[in-house]
Amino acid sequence: MVKTKSKIEEEINAIFSTDRPWVTIVWDDPVNLMTYVTYVFMELFGYTKAKATQLMMQVHTEGKAIVSSGTREEMEHDVARLHEFGLWATLQRSDTGK
Amino acid sequence: MSTTNGFRRHGNDSFIADFSDSEKEVLINLSQQIIELLSERSDHQDSDPLAAMVGITSHDSPPDDEVLLRLLPNAYSDGVDAAEFRRYTESVLRSKKQAHAMSIRTMLMASEDGSVELGHELANAWLGGLNDIRLALGVRLNIDQSNSQELELLAPDDPMRGVYATYSWLGWLQESLLESLMNDAD
Repeated sequence: MVKTKSKIEEEINAIFSTDRPWVTIVWDDPVNLMTYVTYVFMELFGYTKAKATQLMMQVHTEGKAIVSSGTREEMEHDVARLHEFGLWATLQRSDTGK
Repeated sequence: MSTTNGFRRHGNDSFIADFSDSEKEVLINLSQQIIELLSERSDHQDSDPLAAMVGITSHDSPPDDEVLLRLLPNAYSDGVDAAEFRRYTESVLRSKKQAHAMSIRTMLMASEDGSVELGHELANAWLGGLNDIRLALGVRLNIDQSNSQELELLAPDDPMRGVYATYSWLGWLQESLLESLMNDAD
């Protein structure tokens, strides 16, 4: 019961909170090599090869994947670094997940 | 001199490759084109030198050129947010990409026998630079998931055939560097 109540509070807080998490999305691109995308995820985010490969496959098969989440400033930083390495990335609020 | 075998690991964190004169020339030439392409846009003159000094530019619209737009994409789907982000970040992104291309160009120009040795950081710069060249050629070749077979079958006298051969070779070269880098990352 207590758990349920706090969960509702959490959700209400999330709705009104001004720092709801933002996400960085990487989109599929016909030019970037699969190995390269995996390597960039490992280098920029420190992900393991397994996690980086799984995200790369998600980009490849589903057309996009959320690769990181955090504050807007953090996501702007991530997107800038991904652009530096030629990946096609955008950021958005996590609740508009389209 | 024979054609390159691509990159291979040399010692702990060092990667080497030997390029023939013509391969060297192709790489220097393409890197130079990327550097020039990424030079400040002539359609926007910076009116505020102070703003320019801290990396704020008047570029807030996406580039008209398709290749530039792929190299400097929008960070937001929303136009207003994308413009704001571009104003504060585009000139930094240009310089970083130019630095990547520059490291390919300067290293090869300094290498008399066509051999290069890259540490980890330079390897990353080369990867980014090679990738930008591939992205640029990819736009010109109109690469998508479905047309690689068509491109394989271009007539020998089609000028795009040479571009596609270069594009494929760059992908192979990039892959050889990636493989040498990732072999110790397991």
